[in-house]
This record gives sequence, structure tokens and C-alpha cells, in this order.
Amino acid sequence: MNAIKQKDLILYSGLIILGLAAPYLFSAFKVQLTYLCVLIVLAMTWNLQGGEMGYNSFGNILFYGLGMYLTASVQVGMFFPLAEWTESGGEKTFVHTTSQYFQGIGVGLLVAAIIPTIVAGAIGYAILGLRGHYFAICTLGLGIAAGEIAGGIEIIGAGQGFTTPPFPAEIVDPEARGKFFYFLSFFVLVVAFVFVKYIYGSRFRLILNAIRDNEDKAEAMGIQTMKYKIVGWMCSAFFCGLAGGIMGGLIGYIDSTDVAFDGREMGVFMVLMAILGGKGTLWGPIIGATLFHFFKEGLWTFILGWQYVALGVLIVVIVVYFPEGLMGWLREKYPERFGEVIDEKDRKSQVELK
Amino acid sequence: MNKLVKIFTIFISAITITLASISSSFAKVEGEYIVLGSAISLTGKYSSNGVHTQNGYNMAVERINNMGGVTVGGKSYKFEIIYYDDESNPKRAAQLAERLIKQDGVHYMLGPYSSGLTKAIAPVTEKYKIPMVEANGASRSLFTKGYKYLFAVLSPANQYLEVAIDLAVEKNGGKPVRIAQAFEQDAFSQDVRLGILDAAKRTGSEIIIDDKLPKELNDMAATLAKVKATKPDVLVVSGHTKGALTAIRQISEMKVDVPMLAMTHCDAAKLSKQHGKKSEYALCASQWHKNLSYKDKFFGSGKKYDKDFKKEFGYAPPYQSAESSAALLVFKDAFERANSFDRDKVRDALKTTEMQTFYGNIKFGPGGQNVAKPMILFQVRCKGDACENKVVAPTKWASDKFYHPIPKWSERS
Repeated sequence: MNAIKQKDLILYSGLIILGLAAPYLFSAFKVQLTYLCVLIVLAMTWNLQGGEMGYNSFGNILFYGLGMYLTASVQVGMFFPLAEWTESGGEKTFVHTTSQYFQGIGVGLLVAAIIPTIVAGAIGYAILGLRGHYFAICTLGLGIAAGEIAGGIEIIGAGQGFTTPPFPAEIVDPEARGKFFYFLSFFVLVVAFVFVKYIYGSRFRLILNAIRDNEDKAEAMGIQTMKYKIVGWMCSAFFCGLAGGIMGGLIGYIDSTDVAFDGREMGVFMVLMAILGGKGTLWGPIIGATLFHFFKEGLWTFILGWQYVALGVLIVVIVVYFPEGLMGWLREKYPERFGEVIDEKDRKSQVELK
Repeated sequence: MNKLVKIFTIFISAITITLASISSSFAKVEGEYIVLGSAISLTGKYSSNGVHTQNGYNMAVERINNMGGVTVGGKSYKFEIIYYDDESNPKRAAQLAERLIKQDGVHYMLGPYSSGLTKAIAPVTEKYKIPMVEANGASRSLFTKGYKYLFAVLSPANQYLEVAIDLAVEKNGGKPVRIAQAFEQDAFSQDVRLGILDAAKRTGSEIIIDDKLPKELNDMAATLAKVKATKPDVLVVSGHTKGALTAIRQISEMKVDVPMLAMTHCDAAKLSKQHGKKSEYALCASQWHKNLSYKDKFFGSGKKYDKDFKKEFGYAPPYQSAESSAALLVFKDAFERANSFDRDKVRDALKTTEMQTFYGNIKFGPGGQNVAKPMILFQVRCKGDACENKVVAPTKWASDKFYHPIPKWSERS
């Protein structure tokens, strides 16, 4: 037992060192690495309710977009009149000082984590009574509706979009912005991982699994499934909000349907990544997100114009050949490496029975 | 678990090696090539206009390279462009700009298509002090941000249809008009809307319908039903290529009678070709028209550009292509005047640009917008079944008289 823990320790410290050194080792790739961190956070937390609880949500993009708008709005609104900032797409320009910028984004991210969590609780209360496909379709509508609504609210720029505050000009190092957003996203990634890992060792996960495997039985066992379903979704929303806030600052321009409530891309990607890696596993979404990001960044430019066709093919391949994801596939091939003991006698007798 | 750790270790080292091996940067000027970078919409909702933009860039690169290239420090260089597909998505565009600059080592950028994407890219180029000449981001707010490295060869979006309202008031005997308007939810179209609001205020006109339409505009029947009921004097529609096509399709299907129809993107949508007589009398804002009398030594006149472009790509160039070609002429001119590849020297040279191209005069204002070129309006007119865009305003270039009011559908054959 101790030996395994030591191995884990080496793995984790290795990953953290790699994570901390990455922006220096691959200086030119900072933005892509930041994206990777955010994608992993999204996939990992989607997996909490999509993989563990069995409630496939396409609505997590709602919390992501909400977090994005909230961070930017708070960052601006704390120091300047928000309406004037966004009027005619930033007709008037105010400049944040260095301390204002960081204070703003700090408070903004805090708000971006809390409010989506509350919203998830409220919406969850209303719609988590739906099961299976009905829940999935209902959440599909959430992101689309939010995008259209946000596109009509003047104070956050409406159709003009919202230009987020530029990185303070007093910091002259052009690399500083990239580093700041990378470390911010890496920090969120670490927190999210620790949190998810903690959940994996807790009774909470077993309850979520029970809901996934048979909700009626879980209820019959005396579990208040509704309560746990809502809490499970709120956990996802918390990190989605944070991820959105970071992305908003990084991209620098928020558009209602293409950047914030981007269900067509981010909303689908987070599900795809989790499924690619293997939903319902700790490492699956992480591996899935990493592979997906590499596929996207590496290959897409070589197949200009056809990348979405390639993506479609990829989805088909995943669903047909790896329905359980890469981790699930590995697990089936090498069950003993995942600590599963197979009783040969039992297996044989089952084969004979068939 | 043991093996699992091994798998991860191998996986991570594989990533590390791949990344490290492709981490090398290229130079801004490679051998005899000056490398420009551009994220362009080859897929997604702006794909047709993205291709118009790309064709414009390519045509100019070929022409300039064939006619001696760019002379800097007594040596002749050729242009080369690295393209990426931004998928009509601002998020992707910002990321690609970063990639062009940091990984491909691009030091000079050409703009993407549409205001929204330019808005997303400008902060990046600004951060790395990369001069960007853009030809398709017209939103006014781009030019009020104090960007120092952004230069646009076009007139700001709010000027697109302001003139049309003035024209309507003039035709109405100087009396205010009633305006119905519908705009797509995007940075450019919303800026056109602001221009109309200004014009309405100035002329005391009343806006009776003010609709926002979704992106990927495929249906505006609800707005048109209201127009039918309220009978405004002018109907203004803007929503890129799809907006123009949808408007004409549904106006003719629903037989909506309105005395004046003002739009954007008619030539990019090839309205006169696609919808023929149905699009007749539509009034369109344009940055450029082939009949204008500007000239330069690379493309000759607008008419010649039109002919050459048709030969090369098989369709008449919309203004999006013309302005994109002009962007490269501006770059060439700036490189030669700067006589250097120093980014700040090139920027300073761009700042003092004052030239005539086949597309129009180009001189940059303090915000980076082109202040030397007016917008023009043309009207689709048909002879038999052949329809053409005829310039009707400003009067200096007008080849035809503005036809007003549009005859009712019941009277049209």
C-alpha cells in the first residue's frame, strides 16, 4: 500500500513540476497550454455529473459563459461605469491600473465561481427531476437560450460583444500576460483535480454511482437522490464558472454565442473529451482532453476547411470502437493493471453456462 | 497501478518531446520572402466572405510578386502569407493570432474577415507590437481603443447606410421618414445600426421597427410581417451575406411593398446573380465599386481589377476582395518607405500612408481607420433578365439615377 502511495507521490510531484516548468520550456505555446488546462478542468468536472452520476449535460456551457461575463463585468464594474464601457462596443475607453486589474479579476473570478454554482442549484432544482435523454435535451436548450438572451442585454455589450480589460500596460514584459493566465488556469486545474480526487475517495461518489446505476433503487435505499444530484451539478458549475472567467480574460473579447455560450464548440468538446478518455474515471477526462487538444492543434491546420469533417469522423470512431473511452478500453484489455482481480474459475464457469 | 504510472510517464514524455521538437520559431523574413500571417474564416458562418478576403489577398500577393516584389534596402523581396482557418469564431481567431506570432514567428499581420474577429485579434497584435493592416473590420469601436498597430483600409461601419437615410429624407421632400430596421446580432451589423440611429436623430426620423436578428440569419419573416402591417418609408437590413440573401428571398416571397430597401453585402452575396429581378431596386452600401475612377500601377483601374479577378477566380470581385487586395498594396508601400523590416519603423511608415490604389485613396486617421475614402451606394437595376449594380451616390461617381420609390410587387412583372 505504501509503495503505491509513493509511486503516486512521484507521479503527482512530477506532473506539478512539469506544469510549473511548462511555460518556460515551451514559451511559445503558453496560450495553447492555458487552453489545455481549461479544457481539462471542463472535461474533468463535466465527468462528475456526466460520467459518475450518469446525467449527460450539454448545459455546462451555461455556467462557463456566465462565469466569463461575470468576471469581465465585475472587473470593469468595480472601477468604472459598466454601461459606458460597453456602450457601442467600447466607445469610451477606460484604463485599469495594474492593481485595479488584478483586484478586479480576483473578485471577478470569485463571483464567477459562486453565482454559477447558485444558478446550477436553482436550475437543478427545477430540471433534475428529468432523467436520461429528457435531461440531456433540456440542458441543450439552456446554453442556446442563454446565448440569445446575453446577445440582447445592452449593459454587457449585446451583439457588439464585450471587450475585456486589456492587460495593464505598466507591465512591459509581453510574456507576462501569457504567464499570468497560464498559472491561473494551472492553479484552477490543480484545485479541481484535488477536489475531484477527494470526491473519488468519498461516499459522495458512491452515491453518485448509485444514482447512475439505478436511481430508483438508490432512492429505495434511503438516499435523497435529488439533493445529491443538485450538489453534483453545482460542483461542476463551480469550476465551469472559473474556467469561463479565465478564458474571457485570455481571449479579450466576449461574444454572446461564439465565445461565451459557445455550445457548438466548447459545450460539445467538454462532453467529447470526457467520453474520448473514458467517462466515470479519474484520469480519463484528463487524457481525453490532452489528446483532443493535441489532435486539434496539431492536425487541424493541415486539413484546412475539413477539420470539422475530421472531427465528425473522430466522434464516430470513438463511439464505435471506444464506447467506454480510452481508459475503459485499457481497462477491458488489461483489467489486472487496474487492480481488478479476475477469478479464472468463475470466468470459465460463466462461459460454460452460456 | 504500477503499470499505469509507467503508461503516464511514457505519455507525458512523448508530449514533452513532441512539443520541444516543434518549438522552434521561424523568422519574419525568410530568404527572399516577407512572411505575413492571417487567420481567415474558411469554415463557419463567414466562410463565403472569408474566401473573398483570401482571394483578394492572394491576387495581390501574386500581382506584387510578379511585378518586382517589394524593394527594401536595395534587395527585392516577395510576399508570402501563412493562413489559418479561424472557423468564424473570435475565440479561435485570438488563439491563432497568438500562434502565428509566437510559433510561426510572423511579424506582420493581415486582418481576418468581420469586425468581431478583428476585435478579438487586435489586442493580441497590439500586445506583441505587430503591425496589422486589416481590410474587413469596420466596427467603429475598433478605432476608438487607441490601438497603435491597427490600420484599416476601409470606412467605419456606422457610415455604411447613414447616407441612405439622408437620401430617403431628400426623396420625401426633406420631411422625416419612418424607418424599419433589422440587424444581425453581431459587432458589424450593430455598428451599422448605430449609424442609422445617428442619422435618424439628425433628420428627426422615427424608427418604428428595430429588430435584432440571430446569427446565421435564415429567417426574418416575423420582421417582414410587421413591415407589411406598419408600412414604413425605408427598410434597412444588415446581416452579412446570409442576411442579404434571406431578406431578398423573403421579401419577394411575402411580396412586401416598401418604397426603399437599404442593405449591406449585396455584392458579396452576388444578389443580382442569385436572385435576379427579385433583387431589383435594392440599395446597397459598398466600400468600392469597379466604376470608380481610382488607379494604381499594379491593378490599373477598378474595371481592370474586375476583369482580372473574374479571370482568376471565376466571379466578379465583391468589395471585400478589392479592399483585401488594397491591404497588401498598403503593406508594400509601407515597407518600401520604411526601407527596413523593423516593426516600429514599418508601423511609423504605415501611419504616414497617403496613396491612391485602384480601390480608393488611403490615408489613416488617428484611430487607424481610412479617412480618405467615402462610402458609395449602388442600386440593383435590371435590363430584361440581366441585373447589374449601378452606382447612384455620391453624385460624383453616379452612373445612374436613384430609382424611387420601388414599384409595388403587383406592378412588377
